[in-house]
Amino acid sequence: MAELRQIAFYGKGGIGKSTTSQNTLAAMAHYFGKKILIVGCDPKADSTRLILHEKAQCTIMQLASEAGTVEDLELDDVCKPGAAEFDPANTDITDGFIMCAESGGPEPGVGCAGRGVITAINFLEEEGAYDQDLDFVSYDVLGDVVCGGFAMPIREGKAQEIYIVMSGEMMAMYAANNISKGILKYANTGGVRLAGLICNARMTDREYDLAKHLAEQIGTQLIHFVPRSNHVQRAELRRMTVVEFADKTDQAFEYKELARKIIANDLKVIPKPLEMDDLEALLMEYGLEEEVEADAIGKKATA
Amino acid sequence: MFICGYHFPAAMGNKISHEQVVEKVISEAGDLSDVSYAILTSENRDGIKQEDLRVEKGSFLFTALADYYKKSDIEGEYKMIFYTNKYQMSEVSKAVDGGVTAAVCKKLDDMLLYRVKVA
Repeated sequence: MAELRQIAFYGKGGIGKSTTSQNTLAAMAHYFGKKILIVGCDPKADSTRLILHEKAQCTIMQLASEAGTVEDLELDDVCKPGAAEFDPANTDITDGFIMCAESGGPEPGVGCAGRGVITAINFLEEEGAYDQDLDFVSYDVLGDVVCGGFAMPIREGKAQEIYIVMSGEMMAMYAANNISKGILKYANTGGVRLAGLICNARMTDREYDLAKHLAEQIGTQLIHFVPRSNHVQRAELRRMTVVEFADKTDQAFEYKELARKIIANDLKVIPKPLEMDDLEALLMEYGLEEEVEADAIGKKATA
Repeated sequence: MFICGYHFPAAMGNKISHEQVVEKVISEAGDLSDVSYAILTSENRDGIKQEDLRVEKGSFLFTALADYYKKSDIEGEYKMIFYTNKYQMSEVSKAVDGGVTAAVCKKLDDMLLYRVKVA
């Protein structure tokens, strides 16, 4: 059996991280027969809905709250097989499968969301979820690595290779650079590495060039440029991945290619995050920010 | 690192030279003497065809497209080109083919979907 690889998808909130990760993991199972466990680490609990064909999976924190404590739960309560072709019992299309768990978290504004992540991963490990015949464990984590809880998969060496989902938008680039800082912080203690940027494209001018240059400068690669496609939305409305919904479409082939690259990827680096001045210079070079004279900083527009 | 679909081992770092890419693509493409033309078509997000573009034989871009077409398992006469690949082919071609493919590369840098037919 191949060694278990623990990967994670990070990125700014709203960038399309859960959509990208589920479609890519679906492609890894569908086309390449990979056996995968998804651990959703986002309080929204939307990291597995396309694999399960459900609105949202019951989370470990939610079930623990109902049962009393997390110790009262069984693995089968929290770790669900994917629907249809992603169910381990269904080998009609692929021998690959996807198991799904969601950490969950507290109500908005109450408590530390990161605690759910820590509790969930510890519970899954203790209950043997990682001992099954798996090729990949994938964590889907929102990009706020300022919060130690969300940094947990990288902090304690759980996730070994990180893929940052970004786009050519300014805030997505800032977030990608910040996540790189988080990886750098724990690279020597936990062994985590940056494995690449995935551009979930907004289809803006020079977006590929911008993403590629950011990747180069922080020491990694732009592993794939995923174009925007209506097929993604059509599939999502059916709570499906594009790969499952329409596996012969151009967009499904894009995810297949990204899946192939992730499976073969060996470029895992300690990132070199940019200083803010350098990041702003990059954004200006590619037209995301307009350069202004120093004496114009802080001045109101004239009528 | 992946360029034009090919894997360059991590030991080569994250900045692969155009020369290394050209060498790899030419060696992987093999004998292309039976290939007489490569035609690109562009289409918008609604799938409406925009134009046909012919690629100069003998250029790196021609070799890369012919190689891509032969290796692709995408069905159909015209095979969709991954966006990542079209941008990478364009970048290398602009550097090594000069003016021969400049007009086509400028098109490839846009946001349209391209398909290729080689025969």
